[in-house]
Amino acid sequence: MQLETQLTSPQTDSGRLWKRFKRQKMLHLFVGLGMLFLVVFSYTPMFGILMAFKDYSISSGIKGIFTSDWVGLKYFDEFIHDYQFGKIVRNTLVLSFLKVIFAFPAPILLAIMLNEVKNMAFKRFVQTVSYLPHFISWVVVVGVSYAFLSADVGIVNKALMSLGFIHEPLNILTSPNYFWGLAVGSAVWKEMGWWTIIFLAAITGINPALYEAAEIDGAGRLARIRHITLPGMKGTIVVVLVLTIGSILGGGLVGSNFEQAYLFGNSINNPTSEIVQTYAFKVGLKDGRFSYAAAIDLIQSVISVVLIFSSNSIAKRMSGSSLF
Amino acid sequence: MKKIRSYKMLTALLAAIMMISLLSACGNGGGNEGQGSKTNNAAQGDKAGTSNSGSGEVKELSLFIDAPWYPVKEWKGPVADKITEKTGVKLKVTVATDDKQLPLMIASGDLPDLVFTYSNIDRLSDSKLSYPWNELIEKYAPDFKIDKTRIAIHTMDDGNFYTIRNSFATQEEMAKNKFSIGSDGHPGIAVREDILKELGNPPINSLDDFVKVLGMVKKKYPDMVPLIMDKDWLEQYFLEQFGTGVLLDGWYEENGKVDYSIRQPKMLEFFKFMNSLYRNGYILAENFALANDQIDDQYATNGKAFAHSHTVATADTDNIKIKSSGSGSFTFKMLPSALSKDAKVVSSGLGFAGTFITKKNKDPEASIKFLQYLASDEGKKLTMFGVEGEHWTWNNEGHPDLKYNPSDADFVNSNGIKWWYLYNDGVTEGMLSYVPGLQKTKALMETKAITVYKPQIGLIQAQPDSEEKTIKTKIDEMVKNEKVKIYLANSEEEAVANYNSMVKNAEDMGLQKLVDWANTVYEKKKDLFK
Repeated sequence: MQLETQLTSPQTDSGRLWKRFKRQKMLHLFVGLGMLFLVVFSYTPMFGILMAFKDYSISSGIKGIFTSDWVGLKYFDEFIHDYQFGKIVRNTLVLSFLKVIFAFPAPILLAIMLNEVKNMAFKRFVQTVSYLPHFISWVVVVGVSYAFLSADVGIVNKALMSLGFIHEPLNILTSPNYFWGLAVGSAVWKEMGWWTIIFLAAITGINPALYEAAEIDGAGRLARIRHITLPGMKGTIVVVLVLTIGSILGGGLVGSNFEQAYLFGNSINNPTSEIVQTYAFKVGLKDGRFSYAAAIDLIQSVISVVLIFSSNSIAKRMSGSSLF
Repeated sequence: MKKIRSYKMLTALLAAIMMISLLSACGNGGGNEGQGSKTNNAAQGDKAGTSNSGSGEVKELSLFIDAPWYPVKEWKGPVADKITEKTGVKLKVTVATDDKQLPLMIASGDLPDLVFTYSNIDRLSDSKLSYPWNELIEKYAPDFKIDKTRIAIHTMDDGNFYTIRNSFATQEEMAKNKFSIGSDGHPGIAVREDILKELGNPPINSLDDFVKVLGMVKKKYPDMVPLIMDKDWLEQYFLEQFGTGVLLDGWYEENGKVDYSIRQPKMLEFFKFMNSLYRNGYILAENFALANDQIDDQYATNGKAFAHSHTVATADTDNIKIKSSGSGSFTFKMLPSALSKDAKVVSSGLGFAGTFITKKNKDPEASIKFLQYLASDEGKKLTMFGVEGEHWTWNNEGHPDLKYNPSDADFVNSNGIKWWYLYNDGVTEGMLSYVPGLQKTKALMETKAITVYKPQIGLIQAQPDSEEKTIKTKIDEMVKNEKVKIYLANSEEEAVANYNSMVKNAEDMGLQKLVDWANTVYEKKKDLFK
């Protein structure tokens, strides 16, 4: 008898599990697909990280990732001693932090301002116009920017000159002094409207009764924004901020550090436009030094991981809401 | 109990996932190996070979051209048709979208039958990736004869050669053929004839004269750009005038010793000169940021620039474009190729690009025979000049009489003339430029007169993935970035300081070690040409 239960109970248990699994099979299918996606596109390529520690040659193909010799931290050492190392890291950090400082508050401000607009037609118009640039690819933006900003044929320079603001054309596209402004400015222009949607949604979720009560209590417009709208958006702001800081080295919520540095970058503004990603791309793909490029990118990934965990814990401590 | 079970399930699932992902990674590698293995492919090749000789049907081979700018993108036109008729091979052509595509294809093992490249020749000269030509010739085309110099140049450390570059000719070959005057790939500057006339035809017999004229243009036509430069032809013309005998990423030789270009004693003068052009407002800063090689042509043909720096064919091509688009009634003429007594051209080239028969090739026999045809006298003339009778007739003096203007890029490209030179040589190519009366012809003859041949310098080439290659690539890349700072410096002192810091940077990056290595290689290889 005892023996029997020992033998049968696992079967019935697994039978029950199987039954439950069958009942939920649609849900499992969804989860499974998601997991498959992660495995194929996020986990499998991670074997490539091995390259960073190996003397990998592209002619040895994919199996070379496993068969080539270990070289330890040779490539990390090489990157740190590169003559451009300081410059590249500085550019990456400055560009990223500038984007957080300017591009993160911009959609919040726009959302609040749009929320105060009472004319619905105007509000919709502004919202549509401001998020349309999101759908233009960077390649097109950079191509068009030549017509606007070029020192020789750009209409912005022509206009400023004819209005007498400047006497010499500004080398906006071809001077290291303008690159950061150009990158941050164009990123804000392109993505601000898009992120406004999320913040407007957060504002919509605030109970209108709060505004009515505040109005009765005599709160003015600015006071209502300060004491009702902003606190009401806090949760959303914190989550977006944590996401922003997690992807900060890629450009934060407006992203596109790589696209901008690669497309706007040229040999003249190179002193400010070369960032870790473009450098890794150039040495990695063009020169075929995958190991070196993997090491460079790995350094950046480690920094990103540290940043996302620390920003998350800071957010948790300061506001009580966090991602995980 | 249940909880433990579900944990077990979870770990089992995870383990399964990891196994699957491992297998998929290995699967790729394994597949690679299988396809790359020699016996497999050779067997396939044999089969295909026999079927061909029997039926004579047209075979299609895939060809990847590792040059995003390549002007012909499809296997069509009279020349391609004729080659197919003669060889029974037609090509399915893919032109690279950028210079990173081929390295990626190599890494993923996704190679076509044939690859035509100039920047990855070292990389592909590898028995893991390509068939050695010597093996294939021995096996399938024993009567395919290639001269010793060319074989020696391309023989790798493993004793095999995997390609032969086109566009190469030895000094003797060039000396023997007076009608072979070189390819378009030589720098030249074209200037507006009408503006020169309005300025009173000032003589341009030296660099100083040229600079003076640029100054006059700037003064009289302030809206005009005095000198516009193609993004790939920025400094070559001036480097030649200063007699540096080297381009910015190359080696130069003096008294039997080689050294890296930027340490050439005349280099500082050259940099100061380029900087003065910028500081005087004769060139645009934007010129160094152009990502597109059409913009300079537009400046020139739309009448917005006085001088246009590009190749020896610039005046001819610009004039054709101006005429066909009707954008103006002005014409360009070439400056002399030698504008100073120091002018010197050192030809250290080993040729331009070469064709590789990859290990993924489905028919190595047909491939090597295809190349053998292109290498024959008939094949070389067909690819380079076009179809005999239709495009040219042979002049018994020793050159073709062309029935078209070889500077007419539209005609040349649409007929597929020249660009299928997957195998060719510099002598044949050099004759395509011989058209009495063309400005290019004159410019090239002038260039040939000041050319010194030192192909042994071209043999200083590091193996891919070697330490020397890494240092060289890094220094080249550094020079590419830093040179612009010198050109665009705000004062001569700043330019000199930037030059010095560039040289110091290179030395910090291991230049001396690289130069020592280059000298050892040079010592070993220079006798190849004696």
